[in-house]
Amino acid sequence: MGALTTSPLMKRLLAVWIGAILVFLYLPMAAIALASFSRQRYFRFPVPRFDTRWYEDAFTSLSVRDLLWTSLTVAAIVTVISVVLAFLGALAFARYDWKGRTIYQKLLLLPIFFPQAVLGLALLLWYSALGIPTSWMTAVFAHLVWILPIATLVISIQVYGFNPAWEEAAYDLGATRWQVFREVTLPVLWPGIFSGALFSFLLSWGNFPLSLYTTGADSTIPEWLYAKMVSGYTPLVPTLGTLTTVGAALLLLGAYATIMLVRRARRAEDGG
Amino acid sequence: MNSATPATTESAAPILRLQNVDKLFGDFVAVERVNLDIREGEFFTIVGPSGSGKTTLIRMLVGMDKPSDGNILLRGTRINDVPANKRPTCMVFQSLALFPHKTVGQNIEFPLKIRGVPPAERRGRCERLLQQLHLPQDYYGKAVGKCSGGEQQRVALARALAFDPEILFFDEPLSAIDYRLRKALEKELKDIHRETGKTFVYITHSLEEAMVMSDRIAIMRGGRVVQVGTPDEIYNRPRNRFVSEFMGEVNVLEVARDGDRLRDGASGALLQGPAMPEGFTKGFLVIRPEAFRFLNGTADATPNRLEGRLYNEYSLGSRMQYQVHVGGGVFLVEKLREQRYQGQLDDSVTIGWDPAEAMLFEE
Repeated sequence: MGALTTSPLMKRLLAVWIGAILVFLYLPMAAIALASFSRQRYFRFPVPRFDTRWYEDAFTSLSVRDLLWTSLTVAAIVTVISVVLAFLGALAFARYDWKGRTIYQKLLLLPIFFPQAVLGLALLLWYSALGIPTSWMTAVFAHLVWILPIATLVISIQVYGFNPAWEEAAYDLGATRWQVFREVTLPVLWPGIFSGALFSFLLSWGNFPLSLYTTGADSTIPEWLYAKMVSGYTPLVPTLGTLTTVGAALLLLGAYATIMLVRRARRAEDGG
Repeated sequence: MNSATPATTESAAPILRLQNVDKLFGDFVAVERVNLDIREGEFFTIVGPSGSGKTTLIRMLVGMDKPSDGNILLRGTRINDVPANKRPTCMVFQSLALFPHKTVGQNIEFPLKIRGVPPAERRGRCERLLQQLHLPQDYYGKAVGKCSGGEQQRVALARALAFDPEILFFDEPLSAIDYRLRKALEKELKDIHRETGKTFVYITHSLEEAMVMSDRIAIMRGGRVVQVGTPDEIYNRPRNRFVSEFMGEVNVLEVARDGDRLRDGASGALLQGPAMPEGFTKGFLVIRPEAFRFLNGTADATPNRLEGRLYNEYSLGSRMQYQVHVGGGVFLVEKLREQRYQGQLDDSVTIGWDPAEAMLFEE
């Protein structure tokens, strides 16, 4: 160690630095959560009086239910489609060597570099040129354009660590192509597919710029939040904001729990 | 044939026969006109440097690739087009290819699970294999990633044995293992071969490794089989300079015919070699380091004497090796430790050897 050991003073400074970063990152979110419990109609900080009425309103409001439903539907469909396509795409990206691979790898990443606002506008122009009426369904496609490359990258990371000899060995030991896929390929790549699905869902769930252009008359939660901030603030804004954040956090926790359970189940599967 | 080798019936039909097997990748000929007979129950090793075609060959034998031409016959039946998962053979991979998401037990039971063997029976077979391969029973539920290199070798072997193959192939599984463990595992593998009585076909780039384990060895170079024989035959009667050099450190002299003797190109010395083949003009004289003697005065009557300087000494454990400079040539001399040279570096020394102990090759 020698030169690499840090003095007690340095350690203390480091702790302060990390603490400052955490406060900077999380205080605004805490402020939103606090505001959602405020009695006031206007966003003021610090909060003078606490109340949960906005949550009651949120849970009973039909329009909020519609918003949630639209956001959820879009995110769920985007997740399913993007995971299936990204899985196959990741195999082409990282596993198989084929003629157009390098070009494919570059083209695939292109949408990520486009500002989403520009991408959304471009898609909207296309929809109107082709005469496709915009709705949450066109938003699904718009989300996919941007999310699919990211999900492909996420799954590719797992595919890069895949040893093709695993499949060959299974095949050599008598497995059919389907058994190889079910027993080896899928379970080995499963963590990557899983995180690809999580990314897809969360990126769609929180997406604003693409939805803004492409949902037409439908509205997702981020869109609604923005609209209310621009005109007609209601305390439902921080309330819904907090709810969507908590929802996303619950999803992540649930995912983590699922991974743990699957691991335990696998170990127990043959009595090990 | 090696006296310690279990008797194999020479006349019996081979379990695996290769007839004029070719493999081309585009214009590149990876394997050319290979003919081999592998006998039931033998430990057969295919040895060659990288690029010699041995990996391509074994992939065809396992069913991972198809020959471009020729036949592969398993007990007389042509199996060229039978895919790997339909063949009664299997392979231990170079990377071992243990399934990382499965436990030791699940890996070993994999071929049984594929065949639909009930879990209880699978477990029993797995426990017997763990015992046979000296793995603790509580490894059953252990993650393969937590096993040491040697343990992973045993798990891979157990998984292949669980398949109960008619021929078990090995694709250099020991190449990534450190020297001492590799030496131990080579012997262990030969013991397993004895216990199971199965036909083992092994490929490696190390002739030394092949020598330890094999009943018979085939040596490959540039896609062709150069020589097939028992370890004794390969060691005592290498067919060409390539095979003799492949064995380890040897002295190679570029020689030309000079009457009934040989002229060494590097030192200019006139030497007497073994019997020259018909029409021999020039070639290579190969002398093993252990064939040399240090000569004292003229007491020794050998016609081959070279005077030089003792340049350096290396200790190889039970043996000692010496580098002797003769004119422009460098010679390696090896002696048992008890017969080591008594003297100092830079001594003038005379080395000699019996003409019959050297090997003469035209190529």
